[in-house]
Amino acid sequence: MNITLALILDTFREAMARKIFWGLFAISTLMILFFLFVMKIDIVEGAMATITLFGNTGRRQQNIEEIIRGVHGAVAAFLYTWGMFLAVFASSGLVPSILEPGRIELLLSKPVSRRHILLGRFAGNVLVVAMNTSYLVLGVWIIFGAKTGIWNPAFLFSIVSTVFMFAVLLSIVVLAGVLWESAAVSTMATVAIALMSPILAQNKLAERLLSSQWTRDLWNALYYALPKVYDAGRMTFEIVQNRPADSWMPFWSSAAFCGAILLAGVTIFEKRDF
Amino acid sequence: MSQYAIQTEELSKVFYHRWSGREVRAVDGISLTVRRGTTFGLLGPNGAGKTTFVKMLLSATHPTAGRARIFGRDVSDPEARGPVGYLPENHRFPTYFTGEGMLDFYAALSGVSAARRRQLIPELLESVGLDRWGGVRLGKYSKGMLQRVGLAQALIHAPELLILDEPSDGVDPVGRRQIRDILQQLESRGTTIFINSHLLVEVELFCREVAIINRGRLALTGEVRQLTAGKGYRLAAVSPADALREELTRRAQSVAGFNGSAEFLFATREDLNAAIDIIRQSGCEVESVTPTTNTLEDVFMQTVGAAANAKAGQEGKA
Repeated sequence: MNITLALILDTFREAMARKIFWGLFAISTLMILFFLFVMKIDIVEGAMATITLFGNTGRRQQNIEEIIRGVHGAVAAFLYTWGMFLAVFASSGLVPSILEPGRIELLLSKPVSRRHILLGRFAGNVLVVAMNTSYLVLGVWIIFGAKTGIWNPAFLFSIVSTVFMFAVLLSIVVLAGVLWESAAVSTMATVAIALMSPILAQNKLAERLLSSQWTRDLWNALYYALPKVYDAGRMTFEIVQNRPADSWMPFWSSAAFCGAILLAGVTIFEKRDF
Repeated sequence: MSQYAIQTEELSKVFYHRWSGREVRAVDGISLTVRRGTTFGLLGPNGAGKTTFVKMLLSATHPTAGRARIFGRDVSDPEARGPVGYLPENHRFPTYFTGEGMLDFYAALSGVSAARRRQLIPELLESVGLDRWGGVRLGKYSKGMLQRVGLAQALIHAPELLILDEPSDGVDPVGRRQIRDILQQLESRGTTIFINSHLLVEVELFCREVAIINRGRLALTGEVRQLTAGKGYRLAAVSPADALREELTRRAQSVAGFNGSAEFLFATREDLNAAIDIIRQSGCEVESVTPTTNTLEDVFMQTVGAAANAKAGQEGKA
């Protein structure tokens, strides 16, 4: 536990030194301040006053709830797409940095398994993003809840889904980092796989358009094997707006991908010479 | 508990070039033992395989063949590195650390409790002369200061075996003296110290035993005192039988062993010739005869030079 904590804290320290943590924190703070400002402007204040004056009639209440859910959905979508990509770009250097000559030898000379070192780094990285995501989502949730009296707990699911998908993409960063020791290549590999997701998600359409069976099979194989960033994002948007999710497959299959990629990363790391 | 701090058996490392398929034997079948509590110097020219050898001891590089043990434990077991303190050559400590923060991190990885770390860190910083620099980021440290804080890092968990790669590199004479004093204190407490260094004078001053590696092979090993014993003649015999070895040892001033062969030092030409007669009578082969001098540098140059000449000779024949 002592060692795991030390590895996680070291990742935090490096994220702070590289301004990754503070950069993400500043963006989250700006968004929170933006919503605080929005809630203070006349038109919103007026709408809120109207509801207060005439009582929460069913229709008005429903309209406000829909608006709040819409805002929650927009924040979740922003966070899930731009926020997550920003986090991947920012943290892609945190794995290659520990593999630098002169640093890795010292880490490996300690009585800690290589698996522990790599997974400690991974966990620290996920925690940096989890803290910033929680800060932003909870901040927005509290602002809207306090102002409107409407508390939509489903919005909090966006913390789980964003952090989860970040962890899935980070596993690619870890594997690419161990293989090539380059932040740029890690980022490119991760973004390329993430960008394939919305294309592969059109597998129903592809089934109709593709003429040969093997291309249809290949499409489906890629769809099921690679992380479903797009599908999980769409599901998050639905859940945040209190709509039911049709299937949890995008989450569990992405979790399986993350596990397999991390295992590959750890195996290669254990066999490498430094 | 093992009487040896380090034991290697036919330890080898071959690097393969991915595209050309060419192989480089960085370490070639080194069998070496380092006794517990000794001070041991590993010497060799650049590219001899010293760093690869040390990296295999720490499991940073995996051997192609053979095995290495630390205090009887195979180095592939992370626990084997528990009693080891290590200061690499060209270390790169993250510059976001302060001196204290860096020591705290590496001590935690070595399993030192938080309470003990709080107590030890100021003490160690003081012992390496950096007590006023503990709160300063490592980015502001000079090379010599980094070397000293690196040494503190290697000592923080009171290791039984200290492996130092060029410990005096970039350190000024005062700092060098300070490092030597610390190492002498550790030696008196029974810590095994293994130094990989280019500085022959430093190794001669500090180490009791040395090994010279050349082109990945163990070229010579023995006690510094014996290897640098007075002028005379050094005679290397190829794998002498036990009885012959005993007879020659009785006549010689000192003996050193390398890769199954033995090297005897004789004080006079008469003793040398008598020894050669005995060797020939027993059917054993003489590998080389070299006049000796009395510094480690001379021993080193002779050993490395002899190997280079032998290789040039082989290439010439080919």
